[in-house]
Amino acid sequence: MNFFKEINLGKLLILILFIIALGIPYVLRANQYQVLLATTVLLYGVMATSWNIVGGLAGQLDFAAFAYLGIGAYVSGTLFIRFNITPWFGMILGGLVASGFALLIGIPLFRFGIKEVWYALTTSALVEILKVAFNMWEKVGGPVERCLPYFSGSWQNMRFVSYAPFYYIMLAMLVMALIVNQKITNSKLGYYLKAIGEDETATEVLGVDNRASKLKALFYYSFLIGMTGGIYSCMYGYIHPSFFNGPESTKVAILGIVGGRGITYGPLLAALLLVGAQEFLRASLGGEFSGLYLLIYAVIMVIVVLFKPRGIATIFQDIYRKFVVREVKNKDVA
Amino acid sequence: METIIQSVFSGILMGCIYALIALGLSLIFGVMNVVNFAHGNFVMLSMYFTFWAGSLYKIDAIFSPIITFPLLFLFGILVYHGLIKQTLQEHYTIQIAVTVGLMTFLGAITQLVWQARPRALAYSIVQGTIRFGSYTIALSRLISAIISLIIIMIISYFLAKTWPGMAIRATSDDSNAASLMGINFQRTYALAFALGSGLTAIAGGLLMTFQQVDPTMGLRFGLLSFCILALAGLGSITGLVISGLIVGISESLAMTFWDPRARTLVIYLIFILVLWFKPRGIFGRK
Amino acid sequence: MLPEPILKTLELTKSFGNLIAVNNIEIEINRGEIVGLIGPNGAGKTTFFNLVTGLEAPDKGQVVFKGVNIVSMPPHKICKLGMSRTFQITRSFGEMSVEDAIRVGAYNRLGENEVQKKVDEMVEFFELGDIRKTKCSDLGLASLRKVEVARATATEPELLLLDEVGAGLTSVELIKLMAELKKLNQETEVTLCVVEHVMQMVMGLCERIFVLDAGKLIAKGMPDEISNNQKVVEAYLGRRSYIESDVAC
Repeated sequence: MNFFKEINLGKLLILILFIIALGIPYVLRANQYQVLLATTVLLYGVMATSWNIVGGLAGQLDFAAFAYLGIGAYVSGTLFIRFNITPWFGMILGGLVASGFALLIGIPLFRFGIKEVWYALTTSALVEILKVAFNMWEKVGGPVERCLPYFSGSWQNMRFVSYAPFYYIMLAMLVMALIVNQKITNSKLGYYLKAIGEDETATEVLGVDNRASKLKALFYYSFLIGMTGGIYSCMYGYIHPSFFNGPESTKVAILGIVGGRGITYGPLLAALLLVGAQEFLRASLGGEFSGLYLLIYAVIMVIVVLFKPRGIATIFQDIYRKFVVREVKNKDVA
Repeated sequence: METIIQSVFSGILMGCIYALIALGLSLIFGVMNVVNFAHGNFVMLSMYFTFWAGSLYKIDAIFSPIITFPLLFLFGILVYHGLIKQTLQEHYTIQIAVTVGLMTFLGAITQLVWQARPRALAYSIVQGTIRFGSYTIALSRLISAIISLIIIMIISYFLAKTWPGMAIRATSDDSNAASLMGINFQRTYALAFALGSGLTAIAGGLLMTFQQVDPTMGLRFGLLSFCILALAGLGSITGLVISGLIVGISESLAMTFWDPRARTLVIYLIFILVLWFKPRGIFGRK
Repeated sequence: MLPEPILKTLELTKSFGNLIAVNNIEIEINRGEIVGLIGPNGAGKTTFFNLVTGLEAPDKGQVVFKGVNIVSMPPHKICKLGMSRTFQITRSFGEMSVEDAIRVGAYNRLGENEVQKKVDEMVEFFELGDIRKTKCSDLGLASLRKVEVARATATEPELLLLDEVGAGLTSVELIKLMAELKKLNQETEVTLCVVEHVMQMVMGLCERIFVLDAGKLIAKGMPDEISNNQKVVEAYLGRRSYIESDVAC
């Protein structure tokens, strides 16, 4: 964790942001709808940050974020509905099932010599396929919403009368995702993944088991998102095949790419800016323009990719570096 | 038994059109090593254009490619020069991101312009059914399949016998060697992309003679053309047609004997299994 | 009795379509020596390297490394056994710094605590101190090649295959690189196998030389034997009737 030791300025910034994040539900408390929107922004922050592990570091573009979210939601929700198992435990099982499923996709596609594009293609259709499958699977899914049992204000069962607790749970998830991300980045796995994202043939002859590394990345990613799925189902109070949302999955990947592949806070930054703006507009203008957002996301991604291929976080990095370099120079003078 | 034969037969007819759709994708992938994620949305877009031509100007779906082919061809050139060309030297993630961006963009546009409601043309001059004993076949499907095969043959003749076609083939074999031999690879790339996109116009017109179109279709056509590409590998048009038939028949059987909703599920399953056990495709040489 | 060679190939053959890129090649490399592998463009040198390092599977034949047949072993396992390589067309980790790229190699044998020391050692040995924080995509060719060698050396190989490390370098850079490689060979006892176009480098560096032409081994011996060999001279200068095309990876 060099990052935290070296730069006190960065540490301070993180602390300030965290305190602001803690205060938001209090500011918005009069309007539950706005708290939900703020939680949604955090949700995308969690998803994009987790996405960074596989899509950013390892360079395996994944367009199936909501597949793992949906599976997590279904596992946790079904356990709660059928067997009255608390979602706190259900979400962990949900994460495990989601990652098991993800590995099933990853094992054939992460072999040496299979082009990365096939993984992207496979995941790009996965979410819609699962939506169809869960619509057809009457025992667990089906087209009718399955509601979670309601106990008012029950911590044990993750059921609350307001959205604020969900906000804090999601914030905790975000912190966890960031820490996992940062830990991986500074470990052997992180270096391996970064190198794999650059050139797989070169890593292979340096003794890197590409497939195992990529599968590990996929595991962390899908586990984090599967867990989030458990929270997601409680937040909405039901499970439904529409949780498998293809366009929104693409949006998660877009956030990761726009934010900056491989930079821990990049995808979060993009989520805060883009999803934040989107939810703010939705709150003030209503849902009429919902079709338009995705279009804007696509345009922003293409522009960013063509002109700032490493994402908007690099802009901030450059500014920051300039700033820090000046600091150091000043010290030398003194 | 009768239902099986009926189902297989309609699968074969659809398979021919699917092969035509996948041919465009395969052409682009073979030549410039770019997978166009938006390919399925190109097909969908063509269908909507056909719908417009039919409903606004009373042009029959079967003749609409006369207008939509040049339109999509031009669109292909624009997309190539505006987007794809910029990414050829870049990291593969950027290539993927750009075509995914295009896919998302086109998907959102169709949602906005044509809304979620399915659209169909009321009338085509190709209609009615033919009876073979106890089997009935929609004439429009039969004619569409035949036209698809004819177009595929024309394209393979074009690739084998004409100068621009041979340039495309040479470039897809080895772009360095081809450019040494005086082939302008930028122009060849643009041509391949435009042709691949133009072919979706023909497929879109044919599909509209018997089908409706809605905004979810892009994904389905995308998926099935990826699946055919995976099955066929690169380099063999016969392999592509056979793969198209395999996908068409499997889809049709799944719809008849399992559940109409399961069509994409089955295609996806084939897709994964092929990648698992035959990562280079069944007919591929690369 | 000669000592067991570190690398031995038996009847190694690989073809692409009608082209036999590597045809029945049998060579032996002894522990600790520096051997050269030369031949005109398209002779099959790079394909030979790909077969040996497991990047491609041969149609026929064996590759015996330290007494183990490594055909059909995945490349990363071959590296764990003690073999690494560089590439003719550099494959750099563009967005990573020089230091980080070397670190990837160093993890091959070392844990989190020892890695940094190895990286420092490599940086010092190859004199990369000035550019250790530079991104690989910002480096010139000479530095890139050096980083590739450093990265491969960091895996602590017993056999290191260098694919045209001298190509595109100025003669000053070349002489420096040769000195470093010699020093590397002496200090760490790593066996080096060098594919090379640059004659100056092969003749100055290698103790033994193998010559390939059109996929076949046409000569082997000491540098001065090779330079006087009629077949070799012909292969380089005469009878070039087929179109040159490098069967690169």
